[in-house]
Amino acid sequence: MPPPAGVGPEGLEDAPDMTAAELALGVLDGEERAVALRRVLADPDFAREVERWRGHLAPWFDQWPAIAAPDILARVERSLDQAPAAPVASLVTRPRPRSAIWPGVAALSSIAAAALLVVLVTRPLAPMSPPQPAPSVAAPLAPTLVASITPEGKGTPVTAIYDKNAGTIRLTEASLTSADHSAELWVIPADGTPHSLGVLRTQGATALTLRPENRQRIAAGAVLAVTVEPVGGSPSGLPTGPVVAKGVLSPV
Amino acid sequence: MTDHPLDAPAPSGTPSPEAAARARLVDALVRTGEEDRAAFRDLYALTSAKLFGVCYRICGERQAAEDVLHDVYLTIWRRAGAYDPLRASPITWLATIARNRAIDWQRAQKIRRATPIEDAPPVIDTAPLASESMLQDEASDLLHGCLQGLEARQRDAIRTAFFDGVTYAELAERQSIPLGTMKSWVRRGLAKLKECLEG
Repeated sequence: MPPPAGVGPEGLEDAPDMTAAELALGVLDGEERAVALRRVLADPDFAREVERWRGHLAPWFDQWPAIAAPDILARVERSLDQAPAAPVASLVTRPRPRSAIWPGVAALSSIAAAALLVVLVTRPLAPMSPPQPAPSVAAPLAPTLVASITPEGKGTPVTAIYDKNAGTIRLTEASLTSADHSAELWVIPADGTPHSLGVLRTQGATALTLRPENRQRIAAGAVLAVTVEPVGGSPSGLPTGPVVAKGVLSPV
Repeated sequence: MTDHPLDAPAPSGTPSPEAAARARLVDALVRTGEEDRAAFRDLYALTSAKLFGVCYRICGERQAAEDVLHDVYLTIWRRAGAYDPLRASPITWLATIARNRAIDWQRAQKIRRATPIEDAPPVIDTAPLASESMLQDEASDLLHGCLQGLEARQRDAIRTAFFDGVTYAELAERQSIPLGTMKSWVRRGLAKLKECLEG
């Protein structure tokens, strides 16, 4: 697919299509950026190319000069302790083109994709560190939800089992990404906003202990989706790669 | 464009303290992912100067950089559980969050900063985080070697885009050249870089 028509008299027509690199570098804006972001979702090869470029450029972070930072740790901690609807800092959050790249998933909910934009909201994070549950096939005693997370293309569906008592979600082995990416699990409740639940292990089953705010999002009818993300998971807090599998939670 | 005080090689220490620093950083990030507040404070102490450097350079003003830094650490707290220490460099993961947040702010403000920062606070030593592993060093050497093969104007434009977080439109405006010309420079430079990096 050719890039959007680039009008320029300076030999731009002959310049190679470097859209993936341009997206990773961050030079695109407006419609060009929106088109490129949609392409990330639609074209796994392109998504991988963008990721490869992020990796190419990463050594530059080592060179980035450090600057004595203000001590805002106390302020940050106060924000973490604050009530649910506290806006994040004083940042102006506004719709980003990224929101437009979730049509397939957003269509699963009854709410418009615009709901995706309200993402920078803190929830109370009660201090707690539950132990990692051992993956187990034993059925839990109480409310359980399951989802069959079906790959978009070929492949074996991943079964997800949510144990409400323990607040854990267990998934069968998934082979949804190549070794140089991470498969990230998202819950998409009725409001259509994806929330990360964590990164799936590359081999074997995965067990994730959910944070309190995510436990509230797990309900019958909510969608579980898996996207391809940079290793370690999306750095932005929003899905950046294509949805490779999804399924709807239902009670057992 | 000559505003690149970034090429200075980081002071190299012995590998052992660096490895220890990296291990401590990974540990702090992983434990932050387990909602460990003490680890989060440790993480702040270890990384705030680096991440503030990212925010400051892109935002171009101190107050905004502070606000963005605040948002960055809230994001880190929420997202740290998704960090996989076996597969990603901690500083790349953290700095990517900072760069993305700062760019979001900058573009939301529609700031047009025509000149590089002139009142930047003094750069402080970054040695503990500068070199994370042998692999990082090799990747770094490769990138810098390949950049040397580019025309100066291509290299400068690509570097400026990365470190200042600016778009084609602003790159062209800063250089007072047509947008199409800037795109052509950068695209050809990126193509050459790709050939060198992946070839």
